[in-house]
Amino acid sequence: MQENNVNKFKAYEQKKWLQENLSYRKDTGSWAWILHRIAGIGLIAYLFLHIWSLSTLSQGKEAFQHKMALYNSLFFSVLEWFLFAFVLFHALNGIRIIIVDWADGARYHKQLYLYSWVIGVILFVMMGAIMFSHLIKF
Amino acid sequence: MFNYSATKETGSKSWVYQRITGIILVVFTIGHYILMHYQPDNGKTYEAVLGRMQSPWYRLIDLVFVTFAMYHGLNGIWNIFRDYKLKPWAKISILTLLIVFGLAFVFWGYQIIFSIPFIQ
Repeated sequence: MQENNVNKFKAYEQKKWLQENLSYRKDTGSWAWILHRIAGIGLIAYLFLHIWSLSTLSQGKEAFQHKMALYNSLFFSVLEWFLFAFVLFHALNGIRIIIVDWADGARYHKQLYLYSWVIGVILFVMMGAIMFSHLIKF
Repeated sequence: MFNYSATKETGSKSWVYQRITGIILVVFTIGHYILMHYQPDNGKTYEAVLGRMQSPWYRLIDLVFVTFAMYHGLNGIWNIFRDYKLKPWAKISILTLLIVFGLAFVFWGYQIIFSIPFIQ
């Protein structure tokens, strides 16, 4: 009887790690974990890029303005806006993780995840209004 | 020697540091975004940067910001690698690369901040 129960668990096949991971049924916490990593990797990659592109500051005004002309284009502004979505997700989910770790948040982490999305979307739209305020005519 | 280096540390200290730097970075990053974008037309010109950098406090915040962001980010990347069973040589190589690149870019950041002149 006990043996049958043990055998019900499917062994993890290391060689089929992709299928195994994709078929794993994901709930709130799994999605938060996956998105937190993707956002985190994106943000650290951006930090390296950010330092590299701001290095023109030490070469004087001309070099800096030449570099910034590209980043001030609408295309890059929109990319920057979406970068803020990464920042918001990572920040709000990070707060959720801290609440789970330090403030008994494991009892209500699913609600926290939902609130983080609601707050995040609101702040994302607000940042869009700030960033593109010179283009929006009321 | 290879079996123990890089694995003996349980990570409990870096777990606390990750949370402390994280809380500070939430404030700094969102503040940084608002500060850089509330004047879309002239918030990012050379003059604007020069003006902000006249304050030593602003420079200090920038130094702390870049240090914490790099530590938090690379510690996060290292935590991802720690989730997988890596060979000891791979662990040591990855950790060395992260530290070398992290230090190089942080000091590059410091150099950029200090290279901006104070105008009397």
